[in-house]
Amino acid sequence: MHAEAIEIHEHHDMDSTDVFGFWLYIMTDCILFGSLFATFIVLNYQGMLSSKLKNHIDLSTVLVETFFLLASNFTYCLAILALYKEKIRHVQAWLGLTFLLGASFVAIEVNEFIHLAKEGFAWDLNGQASSFFTLVGTHGFHVSCGLLWILIMIFQLPFIKTASIAQRRLTYLGLFWNFLDIVWIFVFTVVYLMGAM
Amino acid sequence: MEHQQPDYGTGQKKLSIYLIGLFSCTVLTLIAFGVVMAGSFTKAEMFITIFTAAIIQFLVQVICFLRLNTQTEQARMNMLSIIFTLVILVSVIGGSLWIMWSLNAYMMS
Repeated sequence: MHAEAIEIHEHHDMDSTDVFGFWLYIMTDCILFGSLFATFIVLNYQGMLSSKLKNHIDLSTVLVETFFLLASNFTYCLAILALYKEKIRHVQAWLGLTFLLGASFVAIEVNEFIHLAKEGFAWDLNGQASSFFTLVGTHGFHVSCGLLWILIMIFQLPFIKTASIAQRRLTYLGLFWNFLDIVWIFVFTVVYLMGAM
Repeated sequence: MEHQQPDYGTGQKKLSIYLIGLFSCTVLTLIAFGVVMAGSFTKAEMFITIFTAAIIQFLVQVICFLRLNTQTEQARMNMLSIIFTLVILVSVIGGSLWIMWSLNAYMMS
């Protein structure tokens, strides 16, 4: 083996360890969401308490939100495909579209929160309201952080000269972004669909 | 080097797999929302449908978008850690509900 080849190989191993570390961070984030879900279910579905949330849920808005997030997930995958074909302009375009879809998702959610608060379902009303806003708000906060990250990557990409560094960074972001969509499946099932039943 | 495109245990990048993922997730989401919005089903039917759809969609997303697999050493490490996380999630959520609902049942009697 040439010295250069060994160096590349070691570099690749280091990258692999880094990505595995990021994966472990996502797993701990899963546990954070798990405890928020447990709190939400305990406070909302005890049977005897009538959930006030039910009167405020508008499922068609949530459906639109869901499709914005799903579409942004798909456009992100297209960005990754473009990255492996080394077309930086296309990557930026797809990331830009991902950003717009994700931003629409956050805008709808913030709008919904304001609407709920105006109707009297504010975060400090009772335990049900607090657990609802904590769970959905934590997810929304993660999405907002993801949006900031996407924006940074769009501007940073042209300055990254080594392909493997760009690939590694977008792999982190991709894991994070897909993870948020997976959490959202359970948010809309447990919070909105069960709440509206 | 043969590793021109390191995948970090996230599998091959293929448009066809992403399209399958997008299509199945769309269908499953529409089924879940449709059942609840139609309003002509019993609670038990809705409950079973939306949770089945959610679990299938979870698997579709993990396989098609996160590209979890067991092909390489790193992919197997990722798989091992997600299984461990699922075990913890089941004990945290299931355990909380079990305790709280038992308490609730005792209080009501």
